[in-house]
Amino acid sequence: MYKIVRKRLAPWAVVGAIIFMLIQVFCNLNLPTLTSDMINKGVAVGNTNYIWKIGKEMLLIALVGIIASAGNVYFASTQAQKLGTKLRNELFEKVLYFGGHEVDQLGASSLITRTTNDVLQIQNVTVMILRMMLQAPSMLIGAIIMAFLSEKRLTGVFLISLPLLGVAVGLIMYFVVPLFKSLQKKIDRINLVFREGLTGVRVIRAFRQDKFEQNRFKAANKSYTDTAVKAFSLVSLMFPIMTLILNATNIGIVWLGANLIAKRSMQVGNLVSFMTYAAMILFSFMMLSMVFVFIPRAQAAAARIQEVLDTRYSIQDQQQPAELPVQEQPELEFDQVSFRYDHAEKLALSNINFRLTAGQTLAIIGGTGAGKSTLINLIPRLYDLESGKIKLNGQDISQTAQKKLHQQIALVQQKVFLFKGTIRSNLQVGKPTATDQEMWHALEIAQAKDFVSELPQGLDAVVEQNGGNFSGGQRQRLAIARAVIKPAAVYVFDDSFSALDFKTDANLRQALATDPQIKQSIVIIVAQRIATVTQADQIIVLDGGQVVGQGTHTELKQHNQTYQEIIKSQLRGEEI
Amino acid sequence: MPQHGPAANLGKGTEKPKNFWQTAWRLCKYMAPWKWFLFTVFAFAIGSVIFQIVSPKILGEATTTIFSGLLKGYHEIKAGQHLTRFPINFTKIKDILLTVGIMYLVSAVLSFFQQLIMANISQKIVYRLRADMKAKLQRLPIVYYDTHSNGDIMSRAINDMDNIAGTLQQSLAQIVTSAVTFVGVLFMMLTISWEMTLIACITVPLGIIVIATVAPRSQKYFAAQQKSLGLLNDQVEESFSGHTVVKTFNREESSITAFKKQNQNYYRSSWKAQFISGLIMPLMNFVSNIGYVCVAVVGGLKVANGRLTLGDVQAFLQYVNQFTQPITQLANLANTIQATIASAERIFEVLDEPEMQQTSVSVTDQPQPTAKIEFDHVAFGYDQKELLIKDMNLKVTSGEKIAIVGPTGAGKTTLINLLERFYDIKDGSLKLDGVDTRNLKRAQVRAHFAMVLQDTWLFTGSIYDNIKYGRENATEAEIYQAAKAAHADTFIRQLPQGYATVLNEEASNISQGQRQLLTIARAFLADPEILILDEATSSVDTRTEILIQHAMDRLLKDRTSFVVAHRLSTIRDADKILVMNHGSIIETGNHESLMAAKGFYADLYNSQFTAPGTV
Repeated sequence: MYKIVRKRLAPWAVVGAIIFMLIQVFCNLNLPTLTSDMINKGVAVGNTNYIWKIGKEMLLIALVGIIASAGNVYFASTQAQKLGTKLRNELFEKVLYFGGHEVDQLGASSLITRTTNDVLQIQNVTVMILRMMLQAPSMLIGAIIMAFLSEKRLTGVFLISLPLLGVAVGLIMYFVVPLFKSLQKKIDRINLVFREGLTGVRVIRAFRQDKFEQNRFKAANKSYTDTAVKAFSLVSLMFPIMTLILNATNIGIVWLGANLIAKRSMQVGNLVSFMTYAAMILFSFMMLSMVFVFIPRAQAAAARIQEVLDTRYSIQDQQQPAELPVQEQPELEFDQVSFRYDHAEKLALSNINFRLTAGQTLAIIGGTGAGKSTLINLIPRLYDLESGKIKLNGQDISQTAQKKLHQQIALVQQKVFLFKGTIRSNLQVGKPTATDQEMWHALEIAQAKDFVSELPQGLDAVVEQNGGNFSGGQRQRLAIARAVIKPAAVYVFDDSFSALDFKTDANLRQALATDPQIKQSIVIIVAQRIATVTQADQIIVLDGGQVVGQGTHTELKQHNQTYQEIIKSQLRGEEI
Repeated sequence: MPQHGPAANLGKGTEKPKNFWQTAWRLCKYMAPWKWFLFTVFAFAIGSVIFQIVSPKILGEATTTIFSGLLKGYHEIKAGQHLTRFPINFTKIKDILLTVGIMYLVSAVLSFFQQLIMANISQKIVYRLRADMKAKLQRLPIVYYDTHSNGDIMSRAINDMDNIAGTLQQSLAQIVTSAVTFVGVLFMMLTISWEMTLIACITVPLGIIVIATVAPRSQKYFAAQQKSLGLLNDQVEESFSGHTVVKTFNREESSITAFKKQNQNYYRSSWKAQFISGLIMPLMNFVSNIGYVCVAVVGGLKVANGRLTLGDVQAFLQYVNQFTQPITQLANLANTIQATIASAERIFEVLDEPEMQQTSVSVTDQPQPTAKIEFDHVAFGYDQKELLIKDMNLKVTSGEKIAIVGPTGAGKTTLINLLERFYDIKDGSLKLDGVDTRNLKRAQVRAHFAMVLQDTWLFTGSIYDNIKYGRENATEAEIYQAAKAAHADTFIRQLPQGYATVLNEEASNISQGQRQLLTIARAFLADPEILILDEATSSVDTRTEILIQHAMDRLLKDRTSFVVAHRLSTIRDADKILVMNHGSIIETGNHESLMAAKGFYADLYNSQFTAPGTV
């Protein structure tokens, strides 16, 4: 926490916040002294002029106090928000330049929480630190000093009440904290059962399990309620005990004070001010104990943020990257490529070899976990290789600038991802300068022209977050359009046709094959259906990261066992 | 002195309920069973506050006693007497302190019990609300689930419920205590001096002015802050989950630029929101301090003139501090309560949704049916305007297999919705064993069916319980048998905990294909007459797919079935094929007749073999 905050806060502003805070505390501490002065030298001896004089001073001090606290609030809020803004910018930039390894390791959803909630958490705690947490100890110390100065013989009272308060708060916390932890788990359980009740409503009703479902929820609900009652009953003790201790302290002060006054060794005004200090001391003590609740949570958030910032890029451009040639007739080559995921024992891909030239199509087929997507991800260098080389137009891609490489590759992922915006803005991601005509052409290839032209807004139809307003098949076709509009040397479709029916799938492949631009490029298709791959120039059959077959459909159909198995599972040997 | 009022929410602004009083009253009715406890809570709260308020005045008497002893002493010294001790009446002080001590103790005990009871009641009320909502959801028709997002329902069940629990527990008693404190303090101040009370009262309008000027401004900035934070979070979510797209399309720089711009927007409103709302507390303290100083000066003058005792001034000073607190508190509470009522409104909205009705229609039932299932001039549409199915006629005899085919998004679930009676038909008659399904209870209809869908819904619980879901009263042996029949037994026994393995929320501890096998086992156990089946497509690897097919084939044997088919073998084997497109059934027949018709089906079927072109 300290590390994260220190580097990103302006020192002068923090000092400013602290100075203002100290002035504010000073003012607050002085009001009781002035009151006691007023009583001792004004009220007790009937000096009205003195009372007026002190009154003016008190108002002045109160005024200085509010200005100081406004200053403190100003610095605290600007600094904390600036800190948050800076952290968010840094995290966002860092994560966008991450390679595949780093994202896998930390997880996309965790990265999102870190950039949003964790930063917010730090931001809020920073405000609290700059405003309250620093104020509590200085108030505590200041009030103790003032109390001591005004009457040191009475400070003994605190020797009893402060430890008593500490023990009481500590004891309650000791029992309550574990209860609250289990409460969190139990509310999670309620949420879980409730959510499952929503997502599974059809299954629940079809199997007539409503009663089971109700009982499951009832159990979770009951268990939560029981613990909550326990926890909050304990919490009910907190406030009355604190007030009681504070009040008992006051009684003690009056009793001891009265004795001292009787002995003529203390003035009566000091008694009044002392009681005010007592309230301040106990109040800041309680505030201080709150610090211990908030700091650990912020610490955890800070650690998660720091982890992201400290992560080193696994893929970085060379100091002087090699030039990546752009060719009319592109070539792509995998030369003895092996790949291993970070810390994995087994190779995810071993010894992959193929060479493709302009106009050729490669199809990759295999079961789940065979390494198809892994292979695809190596082409835009989302991961670096274990051994071997990938060459585009004769140049080893690990020696070139990532940006130049990505310019020549158009990728459609298995999991479709669209940006919030319009169809137009999504296509512009593929080619920023695309004309309407080019867009319609791309949509036509992707078999998306029909449904887009039926939309009242056409190209300017709104795309919600993650394309939520389109069906799975429509989203996939839009993603394909985004890729084909990009003028690239290599087009990669990672299982992009799975959400399409046979007919659309076939039409799409036909359109790809006849488009003059794509015809000159290299196309790589990952597929599950045999029908999708039969026409490819080369087919690679993957199983467990190994190439178990490579050749054309006709060759594989005759000689390759795995390929035959796949055919059998889909067509049962009937229709080939 | 500086009192730290709970002004935390004051500047934030809240959603306003549509019908405040009606909802509030309804929420009150929820508390009815505990009304005596609630009265006790209020009584205790009032008692606790009264003791809390009266005690400063009594404690003040102690100071007065000391002071008068002091004055008496000065007199005696003036008169020439030599004093080592001031003649302070310690017996009286002892009495006073004892009284005050007891009052403090009573106040603390009352306050404890008040909070204790409230914590209990509020948890129980929310328990009931939650249970009611869950039970209600069970009685709602499927159309409710299809037209409301899960996120929306969840947020009502979780966040809104939380709001209500929090308010009941903390704020309800606070309304009473704040109001009583305000009135009580005012009364106590009046008993001391009406002139000084008048002076203290200037803090009330000042405080109200502060809140009325600052809070709306801060709310404005908070709203702007919330809005830009939402946009900011959207950008983060989008760019991170689409990381690869951003990267391979070289969009990093433009994304970062856009993000920084939005972040700057956020900063501009957020620091102002934070700053202005942060000012409320110091300003209220200042107001309180003005009151304090004025009272101190005027009080001091009065004591000096002998018209007031010192202890009264001391007590009065404590009252001034307590006086501004309830104003901030009540203003704050007004916001909290409004948000709570808005939450309650959203929950009641769910509770008021129309429920499924027990239906009956005047369709002649034929006890001896010619068909297991019969669609007799069935018309259906999700809304009133557009009918997806206009006039469907289909007879399915026992043991027949019906294949449903069609392109993506053709509306194959519509048919499942009708068969399971998730939706009721609009016209015609859908008969099961010759009886119109609307004349049966929904559960009666569903007892004849089992489903295996691609969306493999399993709940967080053991594999054993998940299979048992198929039939509540199944024996252990039957469960193992069902798992074996579904080819699931082997992989289950290979898991470290076997059948006791608890599936986690994302069910990431077993694969998608294995999940499907478990849903098949569940259907085996249910042993239905009629089966609704959704064949696996691409997400499953080849070997598991073969297992799934075997299991499904075995499950289908000798049963009447409706299969959403992807495999040619299934389609060709089917006794009847329903071809769907754009939500409606466009062709029916068997493979041969449909091929001969050279319609949509023939086109669809042929497209997968005559893959044209070179790709």
